[in-house]
Amino acid sequence: MYRQGDVLIMELDESAVPAPFLEAPGELRDGRGRLVLALGEVTGHAHAVQGPGRLIREAGRFGPMLLHLPEGGRVVHEEHAVIPLPKGWFRVVRQREYAPGAVRIVAD
Amino acid sequence: MQNVNSWRSVAAATGRADRAAAEAGVRRAYRTAGLAGPDRIIWAASPRAAVGTVEKLTDAGRSVREEVRTRPWADERRRMYDELGPAGWSALWSATGAQLWETTAALAERIRTGIVADLAPRPQDEEAVRLVLLDAVLGQHDAAWLAAFDGQGDRLAGLAEVARNAGWWWPYENAVVITERPDVLHRDEAGRLDHGEGPALAYGDGFALHAWRGMPVPAAFLDELPSLTPERIRAEENAELRRVMLEYYGYDRYLTESGAEPVHRDETGILWRIALDGDEDVVMVEVVNSTPEPDGTYRTYWLRVPPTTWTAKDGVAWTFGLEGAAYAPVRQT
Repeated sequence: MYRQGDVLIMELDESAVPAPFLEAPGELRDGRGRLVLALGEVTGHAHAVQGPGRLIREAGRFGPMLLHLPEGGRVVHEEHAVIPLPKGWFRVVRQREYAPGAVRIVAD
Repeated sequence: MQNVNSWRSVAAATGRADRAAAEAGVRRAYRTAGLAGPDRIIWAASPRAAVGTVEKLTDAGRSVREEVRTRPWADERRRMYDELGPAGWSALWSATGAQLWETTAALAERIRTGIVADLAPRPQDEEAVRLVLLDAVLGQHDAAWLAAFDGQGDRLAGLAEVARNAGWWWPYENAVVITERPDVLHRDEAGRLDHGEGPALAYGDGFALHAWRGMPVPAAFLDELPSLTPERIRAEENAELRRVMLEYYGYDRYLTESGAEPVHRDETGILWRIALDGDEDVVMVEVVNSTPEPDGTYRTYWLRVPPTTWTAKDGVAWTFGLEGAAYAPVRQT
């Protein structure tokens, strides 16, 4: 389990990955060739992964998402230190905040 | 992804329209639909002003929104769906339009609500205003679905050209009413309207919306924020406004001045609880950012968690949808 700011990245055994996602097409990469886990809407700062792999969005704008890194990778962000990730599957979760009657997503 | 970001900018663009480019886009959209161009293109300072202009139009003919916007959009969608298949279309939408949909749709709905509130103070007047709003093409706020079709053909090129250069517009057989973009747009990181020191959205003619982290607030309420006191916050009876006051005032400052005591402390942070009359407790975890700021200090921040939380670790785990026992990052930055 790894955390970079408002994003939590949890290791996931391949056997726990729902079958439709094993071969599902991934999200497009950004203009710099990265997989964007979360994008700050206003600053443009992004939690992003460099290197080969796929990011698969399960549902909804804020995920959760599945990340497959066959050779491992690095999570980068403009304001946080780099986190190296081993190879394998991960579930990516955005941090949320409680608001009475609603839950809202945190963005740093 | 690159085009999503350019459409993200279109949706959030402020400042004067490029009128010549927008009008060229309008005429192109008419030509694509097999229609003669409109005789007149009339500019309005805001969507609210445009509604008034549309109501006063004479000899405009019927609305051609269906031909100019809806049918080409539906045809393109069907063509791409047939070409890509259900999974391919879904992947394309997820990588493009879906990224912008929630924020732009919410913004457009807030604008509609604001227009209705301004122009139809009596409920019986609402229908007439809403009917005019139904004929609108949303220009820059159509960015989400235009992003999905970008680069896939030129059938929607006229609509895209208007969207890149102007705000909402109303196409009729003989006339088009088209609006300027807002002068001011403030949003938070999640894309919601948000500004504590004035309108979060404002057009040149004074049409404005006030909001704090997406929640609509009265303009006069914002004026009061800089002079808040803990007593005034406690006295506010509207729970939603009181929440805004607390956020503006700062939970940390409120905690200090109200003499609150921490409820629990562990390796993840500190749990605080503030009891409020007539409302559920405010429970927050105080956590320290793992990465130092450029000046070497560590930023402390507060996240509100459900009132059923009793340990700091349970609180932090909740913010990621986990039980306290399952939360154990091996590395954090």
